[in-house]
Parts: sequence; structure tokens; C-alpha cells
Amino acid sequence: MSANDNNQPRATEITVGYKALSPSQKDRLKKIQVNPEEGDAPPWDALTNYKTVGTDVDRIDGMQKATGRAKYAYDINFPDLQQAMLMRAPIAKGVLKGLNIDEAKAMPGITAVVALKEVGHKIRYVGDVLAAVSGKNLDLVRDAIEKIRAEYDTQEHNVDYLMDEQAPLLDAKGNVDEDWDEHPKVDAALTSSAHTHTGTYRTEVQTHSSLETHGNVCKWDGKNLEVWASTQATFGVRGELARALGARDIEVEAVDVHAEYVGGGFGSKFSAGIEGLACAMLAHEAKMPVKLMLDRFEEHTSAGNRPSSLMQVRGGVDKNGKITAWDWRSFGGCGYNGRGGSVRYPNYYMSGAATRRKHKDIACDTDPARSMRAPGYPQGWFGAEMFIDELAKKAGIDPLEFRLRNDVEAMRLDQWQFAAEQFGWQKAREKKNERGARYVTGVGCASARWGQLGRHGGRRMRYGITCRIHQNGTVEARSGAQDIGTGLKTVIQMLTAEELGVPADRVRGVSGHTSDPVGPGSGGSTTTPSIAPAVRHAAWLAKNKLIETVAEHLGVPKKDVTCADGKVGTLSWTDACKLIGPTSIEVHGERYPNYRDKPFHPGVCGAQFAEVRVDTWTGEVKVTRMFGIQDCGLVIAKKLAESQVIGAMIQGVSYAVHEQRIMDQRSGRMLNGDFLRYKITGTKDLPDIECHMHSVANGHNNTGAAGLGEPPSTATAAAIGNAVFHAIGAPVRHLPITPEKVLAAIASK
Amino acid sequence: MSHPPDHGVSRRSFLKGSAVAGIASTGITAATKAAAGPPVPDSFGPGEHEISLLVNGAKKQVKVETRTTLLDALRDHMDLTGAKKICDRGACGGCTVLVDGEPSNSCLMLAMDAVGSEVRTVESLANGDDAHPLVKNFVKCDALQCGFCTPGMVMSSIACLEKRGKPTPDQMRQDLSGNLCRCGTYGRVMEAITKTANGENK
Repeated sequence: MSANDNNQPRATEITVGYKALSPSQKDRLKKIQVNPEEGDAPPWDALTNYKTVGTDVDRIDGMQKATGRAKYAYDINFPDLQQAMLMRAPIAKGVLKGLNIDEAKAMPGITAVVALKEVGHKIRYVGDVLAAVSGKNLDLVRDAIEKIRAEYDTQEHNVDYLMDEQAPLLDAKGNVDEDWDEHPKVDAALTSSAHTHTGTYRTEVQTHSSLETHGNVCKWDGKNLEVWASTQATFGVRGELARALGARDIEVEAVDVHAEYVGGGFGSKFSAGIEGLACAMLAHEAKMPVKLMLDRFEEHTSAGNRPSSLMQVRGGVDKNGKITAWDWRSFGGCGYNGRGGSVRYPNYYMSGAATRRKHKDIACDTDPARSMRAPGYPQGWFGAEMFIDELAKKAGIDPLEFRLRNDVEAMRLDQWQFAAEQFGWQKAREKKNERGARYVTGVGCASARWGQLGRHGGRRMRYGITCRIHQNGTVEARSGAQDIGTGLKTVIQMLTAEELGVPADRVRGVSGHTSDPVGPGSGGSTTTPSIAPAVRHAAWLAKNKLIETVAEHLGVPKKDVTCADGKVGTLSWTDACKLIGPTSIEVHGERYPNYRDKPFHPGVCGAQFAEVRVDTWTGEVKVTRMFGIQDCGLVIAKKLAESQVIGAMIQGVSYAVHEQRIMDQRSGRMLNGDFLRYKITGTKDLPDIECHMHSVANGHNNTGAAGLGEPPSTATAAAIGNAVFHAIGAPVRHLPITPEKVLAAIASK
Repeated sequence: MSHPPDHGVSRRSFLKGSAVAGIASTGITAATKAAAGPPVPDSFGPGEHEISLLVNGAKKQVKVETRTTLLDALRDHMDLTGAKKICDRGACGGCTVLVDGEPSNSCLMLAMDAVGSEVRTVESLANGDDAHPLVKNFVKCDALQCGFCTPGMVMSSIACLEKRGKPTPDQMRQDLSGNLCRCGTYGRVMEAITKTANGENK
């Protein structure tokens, strides 16, 4: 089918799947029928001969970032810019009895003070926002905040969900000590199992720890508000602020949001938040631009977190090593709203088992959970994948072999095998530690899973892309969505270059301004899979316009003109673009819904292997080596995709052995709300990490990209937990795997 | 964030404590310089003072309070926003600049203490599209994702290269141990340093 045929047939045959991962494996390619909507660009598939896609193009904004020229929200300056801070409650629970901002308002250099709670309002956690202040500089603002008088009726608080009456009973070792409700099917399956096992697993609160804190710069021009936001959702912030300001009787005609560069988000930055609203209100009152960025303590304590979890599993396996029973109950340790603590587990291991799954969220008086990179997955994967290793040990089966027998996702079976070869699993697993040795090593593995194939938009709208071809031969492709470091701008650039047959450096990918077409919030690994098909569609439309122009100029039929390899018909790209004239070609591409036909695979798969060295004297765990394989449908920007997978694994190391929010029950306050005592992985903790990007032609839309941000973060802590289990011969069932837990596990053997 | 004074650690007392820790661990010279008596303005006290700083080879006159950090002076008074404010406590390295050639947490140094010193920021490493080979290698190796830690990472890497020539992996881990990255770019940062030491992408 020719690429410039607008009236394509509805049904198209494409080839999906992937080439053999290694010589010992087979190609997994097959033909399927798909039915693209009329007007969409024709689908790429496994037989497409890519020139740019899948290669190592440099990140388009790498130079801006590495030279400090990139302007994040935090970096926006104006000559009369006012700095602002929030005043927060120091108590965990109570009622506001008095709030006096008059003295602060009257201080020299202070330009605006707004109260954000009224007398009688509840205080829900240490850090609940009471007021906001702007002034000439932060030191003056800090002085002014100390002059705000707040009084409270304090109430008894609890910042440990396990102390709540809703929490399950625990025994002295921290295991859930409660009878299971009867369940005939599960009970029968357990009774008839060849081996059974029970285990209790725990994870602690992890904070997102984005390096750029939450915050905004707001600037009013009449009733128009311009916002530079550190956000994962430009359009969400726009809508939210317009609505909230309206509700505060501030007349708003338009809100423009910019987020050209964002210093990380990891799921915490979807909302404008109280800090965004406060900033807009201060700027309105001060009649000057205002910057309000949270500080690090606020970022740790008031900007969301991955909630803690408690999981108890009992399961059984038959004499062939097949899981036959799976009984799961989990509890999420949440903030004051009691939400967001749910836990998922890898259900592709127990498809033939009698299963039950129960979950309960438990509230306590802390900052609420927010989605964090694969919400609910790393917790549940840790519990389930460790349980599986313990069950395999009882059944006397190698944990990899046990997974191969139970995993029903065919693509991952290839990945397990390939990754095990690359990692050297068998040899490492069989290696015995010397008796009595101080340092022992171990290896473990775990699976990765996510299911994001992208969305087309809302019920009555579709995401879009503006593509322009200019007479000087340059191209720009623009999305109003945001690039939070994943590489959206580069992805836009590469897809456009591929479609037009020009080198990537001819194309500028732009994102992060709500004046450009609508895109999704960057959560759930949605951005690339949602935007990519629209980028292609826009480039394809623009290409057809250029072909028309050239065909007219040459006096030949359109169908005789192709646009590829830097040529349009008989003209060079440069000469063809000269025909465009001063008014550029501009088209609006749109995101068609995913095909209704069944794709090659409904989500993405991955597998990870980890090696650890444990110091049995001190209990210290050092992750020494990791290998990960990950698919994300079509791999577009290979180098950037690898960065994301490696980065997820490093974050996973951090979650496995370092990170834990420590709360003080007495004051209700976080004790380690900084980067001195809230430890995240640094260079000295860095394992040797290798990753393999597994490109799969998935056939779910014209591009076939799938989400990548979250999937690799599901597996890492679980693989490390299993490696520690292998190294010391006893499981540490509680993240983070800190020295005291390791020593206790060794002592319990 | 700020609490009424009776409920929390005040910023100043906290900062003092961290500053000592930071100096001890990274060998910053701010305290020792002050003791040795660098050229300073005649008067101190509340309110703003005009000082002259030597930044990226140029003299800059700025009006700062005694409590203004070098980081705030760079970012808010000179619009040199490459150095980032991430922890503001000397724990993350995001604000790293070179002070007389030594990598320093500019959030732990008062602007006034930088008088008489030579301050180099990340902005000095590029002139239009012409950038230092290390910067080019950062891009080539994709040693950055969100990019927020990157300027600090680049400055610590420059210091590592200038001090060591051809640093070993252990030396790189040591020299970058004060720089945190949440996206997980460490491995590729060390690749970029190695490539630069080997003369690639000059």
C-alpha cells in the first residue's frame, strides 16, 4: 500500500512480533489483520525498514540541560519576581482555632499574604497548609511566616498505620497473626497441594524525591494568568487552576501553562496542588509575578509518597511444580484520606490456581499517597516474587525453572531464557558460598509487567500534534504535553524524521506549552504511546502536502512522487521545501483510537536478574550486578529508552536497600525529611547494570509504541530480595533490606 | 517550609549543623577561607550590602544580605540558574560550582564569603553551540534524563577530571558521591567522564 493513499482499505495485513532474541531462539513473527480508521496513517510493522527509529539519536534538549541553559519552573526569573512560601501546621491532627496574618502583612518587603484555612478547619497532618506569603526574598518571607499566629485544638494522632484499630494483628516477629476466612476452593486446593507455604511481607513508605520540588511561577496580565509549572500534566494544571481560582472569586479568562523542562515527577506532579493555587493567589494580590517552590522537607512530607504495605500470602504447589493455590491479603498504609494503598501482584504465575485476593487500605495522620512509578506494583511484586522463591525452595525447584513452569506470558518465557544466558544465571546460582565466609553472594530474579498501549484522548476529543514544514527545510512538531525527562521531545523528533525521511536534526520536537495541541498527563507510562501515533499522523499529513506541492511543480501525478531518504520525487528535500514559500505547511495530526483488533501482546513484559554481596558481619547488602530485559512495543529512541530502564533499576536498588520514611509517633513528624537522612542510591551504591531493549511490533496502532516508564520499576526490589535470600539462605521479608534485618535473618536460620 | 519557631528546628541553626557536616565530607574551603581572612566588605549587619564577585571570569556587582547564600546570589541576583536548589542543605550536590577550582556546595556558602574567590558555574562550559567536551559527552552518553541534577553533576565531573586526569571508576564514584540523581544517570555520567578523559568528542 502506498503511503500517500488517503483512501486506504479498512482491513490491512501487517506482521507483528519480534525477531529471535538469541541464536537459540526462534523468530516470533506472525501476520494479523488490523482495521485502521479512514484517514489514519498506514501502520508500521515488523517489516518496516526504519532509518531513524530504534537508533541512538542524542536527546534533543541534552545540550540545554548539560549547560544549565534549560529553564525549569524553578529557574524562571523576572525583574520584579516575588518569592513565596507556605506556612504549614506543626501538629498532626486538630482544629484551627485562630489564624492572624495581619502582622505579617504589614512587614516591609512583604507583598502578599493569603490565608488558606479558616478557623474551624481540620488539621490533618504535619504540613497541612494554613497560609502563604510572598515578598522580596525568601529570607524576608521566612521572617514574616514566623509572625503569623496560629492556634490549634490538638487531637490525638497516629502516624503508624499498624497501630490503627483497622490493622491486622501481628505476632512478635511482625507476621500477620490472624485466621484466614474459609474459602472452599482455596482451602481444598491448599489441602491437596504437594507443598504449601505462608509468608508475611512488608514495605515502607517511599517518597518520590523528585529533584525539582513542586512549585510554580505565576504572572497575571489582567485576567490572564501565565504559569510556569513543575508538572506532569500541563493541561490538568490549566483546568484545575482556572476552576479553583473561579471558586475563589478571582476572575480568570485564560490560563497558559508552560513546562518545557521538568525536574522529575515520578507520579507526584499531576495536580497544581495547594502550592499552585497559593502562588496564583499571591501573584494576583501582589500584582507582581510570584515564585513558590517547595523546599526539600515539604517535598518529602507534603507532596505524596508510595504508601507502605503489608502482605500475607499462602500458597501451594503440585508435584509438577505448578502453583495450585494462591491466597493473598494485603493492607496499604495510607495517609489521612485512607486511599491509594492498593497492591498488585504478578497474576500470570497462578492462572491455573484457586485464588483469592483481598485488600484493605488503612488511614493514619500523614500526607496522603500519590501514584508513584507503577503504583502498587513494586510492593506487590516484592511480596509475591519472594513468596514464589520460598515456595520453589520448598518444592525443591530452581526459582527460574519454577517461573518457566508457571509464567503464562509467552513473550516473557523468551525473555527469561535470554536474560538468564546474558546474566549467567545457572553458574551464579550454583556457586556455593564458602562456609563461614564473611562475604556471601547470591542471585535472584523477578518479572516485570505493565499494560499501557496509550490512549487517544477523551470521549469527545483526541490528542493532537501540530507539524510544520518550513521553506528552509526545517520541521517542527509540537505537543502541549510535557517531557518530564523521559524524552518525549526526542521521540517526537525521531518519529517525524522517520515519516518524512529526513535526518533527525532537521526536526525540532517541542513540548510543554498549553498553547500547543492537547496531550495526556504523563502518568501510567501513557505519554509516548498516546502521543506517538498522533506525531506520525501529523508528519504523514504534512508529507502528503509537500508531495502535492512537488507534484504540482513537476507536473506529475501525486502517486508518482515519493518522499523518502531526503528526496521528494526528483527534488532534494531542500529544494522541495523551497517550493513551500513563506507560509509554512501546517497540519494538525490526531490520535486515532487503538485498533480494535487483538494486538500481538496486551501489555509489556520484562525480566530482571540481580546479584548481591552480603557482609554477614555487618549485615550490609551491596547490589553488585543487574541485567534487565524490557519490551516497550516499538523502541523509538533507543539510548533514551535504555536510560529509563537503567534508571528504574537504580531507583529499585534504592527502594530495596535504602529508602524509608521514618515517622515520629510523638510529634507526628517525619524524622528524615531531607537528603542527609533519607538515603537514596548514589554512585557508591551503583551496581553494574546492563539492559536489553526488546523491540516488539505490537500492531495496536500506526506506530505500536507502549509505555516504558513504569514496567522496569516493578521487578528490581523483588529480584534483589530474592538474591539476598539466596545469599544468606533466609528471606528478609521487609523492605528496605537494612543491615539489622539481614543480621536478624541470619541469626534466625 | 516554615513553622512557628517553637515547633521546629530553625533554618539557620539547622544550616549551621549541615554546613559543618558538608565541609567535613567534601573538603569545602569556605570556612578555612573565612578564617584566613579573605577580602571582605567593611561592614556587616542587617540589610543589603554591595559586593563584587568574580564569576566565570567577569566581575559582578550584587546587593545581597549577609545571610544570602552564594547559590541564591547566583540564581536570583545574576540569573545564573544552572546551579540548582534541590536540598539547600549540602546533601545533594545540585548546586555544585567551583570555588577557586574546588567543587563546592554553593547553598552552604554565603555570597560574602565568595568575595575574592574565583567562582565557576556550569554556564562557563558553553559558548553558544561550542561546548566543553565533557558537556558533549554528557549528551552523547545520554548521561541525563530530567536534567535537574545535571549541572551539578557536570561541575563535579569537571573537578574530577581536572584533579585526576584519567580517573579510575573508584575515583569517579568517590568524586561524584555527593551528587544525587533520582532518574538514575550515574553509570552514564561516569561513561561521559571516561570518554572525555580519553579525548573523545573534543
